[in-house]
Amino acid sequence: MEFLAALTAGGLAGIGMWLLLDRNLIRVVLGVAIMGNAINLGVLTAGRFAGEVAAFVTPAAVPPDAANPLPQALVLTAIVIGFGLFTFALAVLQSVRESHGITTTDRVTEVTEEPAPDVEEVGLQVHQDDADLHHDAGAPR
Amino acid sequence: MLTALFAIAVSALLAPALSARMDDRAGWFLALAPLGAFAWFVSCIPTVAVGGVVTESIAWVPALGIDVAMRLDGLSLLFALLITGIGTLIVLYAGAYLSDHHHLGRFYAYLLVFMMAMLGLVLADDLIAMFVFWELTSVASFLLIAFQHEKSVSRRAALQALLITGGGGLALLAGLVLLGIAGEAWRFSELDVAAVEAHGLYYGIMVLVLIGCFTKSAQIPFHLWLPNAMNAPTPVSAYLHSATMVKAGVYLLARLNPVMGGEGGWSDVLVLVGASTAVVGAVLAIRQTDLKRLLAYTTVTVLGQLTMLIGTNTTYGLQAFVLFLLAHSLYKGALFMAVGAVDHATGTRELAKLGGLIRFMPLTGAAVALAAFSNAGLPPFFGFIAKEFAYAGLIEMGVTGWIVTAVMVVTNALLLAAAGLVFIRTFLGARGHYPREPHEVPMPMWLGPMLLAIGGFVLGAWHHWPETWLINAAVQAVARGAVDVNLYLWGGVTPAVVASLLTVGLGVLFYGFRHAVRRHIARWRVFWGVSGDLIWDRLLKRLFRFAGMLASGWQHGSLRLHLILLGLVLSSTVFVGLGVGGEPLLGAGAHPAGAVSPLSLPGVVGCLLALAGAGAAAVMRGRLALVTALGASGLGLALFFLAVNAPDVATTQLMVETLTVVFLALVLRKLPSIPGAAPEGRGARATHLLVSVFFGAAVALALIVAVNLPLAGNISEWYLQNSYPGGKGGNVVNVILVDFRAFDTLGEIVVVALAALAAATLLGGGEHTEMTRRGQPEFDSVLLRQAVRPLAGLLVLVSLVLLWRGHNLPGGGFIGGLVAATGFILVVLTFGNYPARALMRLRPTLLVGAGLSCAVGAGLLGLMAGEPFLTGLWIFPLGLPLGTPLLFDMGVFLTVFGSVMHMMQRIAGRAT
Repeated sequence: MEFLAALTAGGLAGIGMWLLLDRNLIRVVLGVAIMGNAINLGVLTAGRFAGEVAAFVTPAAVPPDAANPLPQALVLTAIVIGFGLFTFALAVLQSVRESHGITTTDRVTEVTEEPAPDVEEVGLQVHQDDADLHHDAGAPR
Repeated sequence: MLTALFAIAVSALLAPALSARMDDRAGWFLALAPLGAFAWFVSCIPTVAVGGVVTESIAWVPALGIDVAMRLDGLSLLFALLITGIGTLIVLYAGAYLSDHHHLGRFYAYLLVFMMAMLGLVLADDLIAMFVFWELTSVASFLLIAFQHEKSVSRRAALQALLITGGGGLALLAGLVLLGIAGEAWRFSELDVAAVEAHGLYYGIMVLVLIGCFTKSAQIPFHLWLPNAMNAPTPVSAYLHSATMVKAGVYLLARLNPVMGGEGGWSDVLVLVGASTAVVGAVLAIRQTDLKRLLAYTTVTVLGQLTMLIGTNTTYGLQAFVLFLLAHSLYKGALFMAVGAVDHATGTRELAKLGGLIRFMPLTGAAVALAAFSNAGLPPFFGFIAKEFAYAGLIEMGVTGWIVTAVMVVTNALLLAAAGLVFIRTFLGARGHYPREPHEVPMPMWLGPMLLAIGGFVLGAWHHWPETWLINAAVQAVARGAVDVNLYLWGGVTPAVVASLLTVGLGVLFYGFRHAVRRHIARWRVFWGVSGDLIWDRLLKRLFRFAGMLASGWQHGSLRLHLILLGLVLSSTVFVGLGVGGEPLLGAGAHPAGAVSPLSLPGVVGCLLALAGAGAAAVMRGRLALVTALGASGLGLALFFLAVNAPDVATTQLMVETLTVVFLALVLRKLPSIPGAAPEGRGARATHLLVSVFFGAAVALALIVAVNLPLAGNISEWYLQNSYPGGKGGNVVNVILVDFRAFDTLGEIVVVALAALAAATLLGGGEHTEMTRRGQPEFDSVLLRQAVRPLAGLLVLVSLVLLWRGHNLPGGGFIGGLVAATGFILVVLTFGNYPARALMRLRPTLLVGAGLSCAVGAGLLGLMAGEPFLTGLWIFPLGLPLGTPLLFDMGVFLTVFGSVMHMMQRIAGRAT
């Protein structure tokens, strides 16, 4: 079972990556969901599926062959957080679509951002200071 | 000593408030701290003068053996007196000079912070503590130079000073750390001289320390920041950039001279760099027409001479160093303050416009006269003794000494001419043309220069006082062995006296023919073309361009390229790791038999469904088909979780998948249908495919190798054993979530809440979310509409049951919250979000807040009972097990429910 789970996790991760690399934002959002599933499955698999019964104990007895509870606890919260992340990605998708009318990743950068401003601005600043220096040779106060 | 530092730091904190209340009179109060410190240091003179030291220390980083260790010896005392003494006068002076400035309080604060740092620097015995104070002076200097930050010249000068001294500081830090390692001690006073000299990194240490000192003390080629720093208000120039801060480098050179000043070339470097700096400074000084810049370049000259004097390492040279240091601080501080006063009174510092000021400003004029005489090195002023000893010290060195002496005579002659410019040109002669009517400045402004100038005279005329009380101890601290100190004004016709006479003669000549001298210097235009400032600007510009190139190469803004890089690096790390590590991939031999669980039918079906669904989602285009495929994939995963005995995880996955499908459907409905695989080149698609396959294979391989090894440790066993005794619950997963690892869970629900708030904000609407009474058209069926309400009510009931029983049976806060949300979402879909909201009675955000409060409250209850945060407490009224973990789980329930509802309300408000 572990090998099957490992292969499934690998397959899901590959598909998730393929979707994340897509140009269309909708597919990217789907990729977020599938990648999340792959990672959850991977974490659970790393804890092994040694147990025969679920991890429930009674005051009287602790079953000797219970499943590993720790990765289950980790994955349980991870699923809910993954859902939060997915919804956030959906919200981004919708607001990008509404404010810019596009759903392709490369265009998003183009539309929402100016080109990196550092070089131009700093160059200008230095020139400006040069000019000031020539005007009043560093007149203090 | 620590008290003195503390008192000055406190007055720095008080300065803005005091200044706001009392305007410029605040200076009188703020000057009390440095004045008190000055008095204390004066009281230390008798102890130190006979060779004693005063030490204080508090532990700072005990683990690394770093203390704030203070040690007051002759050199430190001399500096401390200068810092606090001149500091007191400067604070008073600044009050008058900047009386009309609206940020006077801030100015006081910066100035006092600097004073504290500088005092710490000269007192610190610990290498690291000294470095921290060193950097603090750089920062304070930056703030003070940029005080008039509206002017771009000031900003540029401040940045330049910070970059140069800060860069030097980095080198110094490396040098000090190496020095500490080589010298086997972290205190200046305990460094092992022999070990340092024998150490293989001796030259490395020397170069690094020298870079630090040379940048700070404006030696060539780092001198260019100092004249530009004159853009600061005059009190700053007088205090930081002539009397104290720029001497920090010289101080450290002197401090390390006994350690480093052996045969290793230390002296030669100091003499060479110092002499060049002196010449360049003097030549540049005589060209200036602005009084303040003129003084700045003479300061560069003096710093060069001081560096050179340490390098001589002769009896006279070291005495001259200490004498010159003291003399220069006194007269240069006085001159700067006086120039500020002239500027204040007349509105100009241009030499061409000044003249005849003595009639209007007799007191300032007198102070300048005294200071200028000392500056020019005329007897019986203190400057004369200093210069005399300098010549004697250099001549002692032999042939190089003679050459350097010749250089010194010329530079000193230029300094004398400069002193002449400052006094004669400004105060004597015909009346100048002033922008405003000159007047004598208020008392705090002439008091400082006057006291300092008189000091220069008194110390020179009665030179046995400083000899006994100050100079002797300071010289002993600088020298490598004991040095006999004996000051005199007249020691017969020695070579030094001849050199002095020559200097005065040359100086007078230079002054007389100053226009010719300037013309001659101006002819070397070639050299002015290579001015440091231009080089600096170009260097900075190139650096920014290079950084921009580097940044845009990596931060190209393409999400996909980042992802490809990430995927490739990650998968190749795994492949390389596996290849090198050599773990057997499918080696059943290395594995304890029977540890691999057998395949089960639900597990296989679940996996296949998950893969098939995901694969379909990757290739299909229809929106509905996409949603279905994704849902199927999630369901398959839930089935698998069930098959491996993880019922809670399976339920959660099921609930989340349901909600995912609903949300996705609502959002996708408004989007255009997805274009087929995007129109990209074949190459790009092949790359993506390759990266995806690599990544998937890496994940699968890593997991296979991992599960092939036995599980380390028995932490799970501990949880199973302690679940009932420690957590009073049978559902181990839930007990871990709400009790054993509740702090993690608290963090996780905060993340969920934040994600929901952020998503809802992006979806917009705010308080004015569109509230609708219309459901989705697809739900417009009488039967459905009738059935939904009871169904939703039932789901909420079920969710409460799940919450209650979650501690012992499948369920819990996460699952309960999701189930309740599903019930309400049915209502939203059928009737619109308004009825759902009315049914909830509360805003979802309030629910989130209540949930988080519940969870934190459960933790605080444990805290109040005297246990650590989030400790579980239990009571059993009527046999019912009630405990803080249940309250915590309720918090989880409310947070998850509220978060989902918050997002749903916004999405539904938009979708209709």
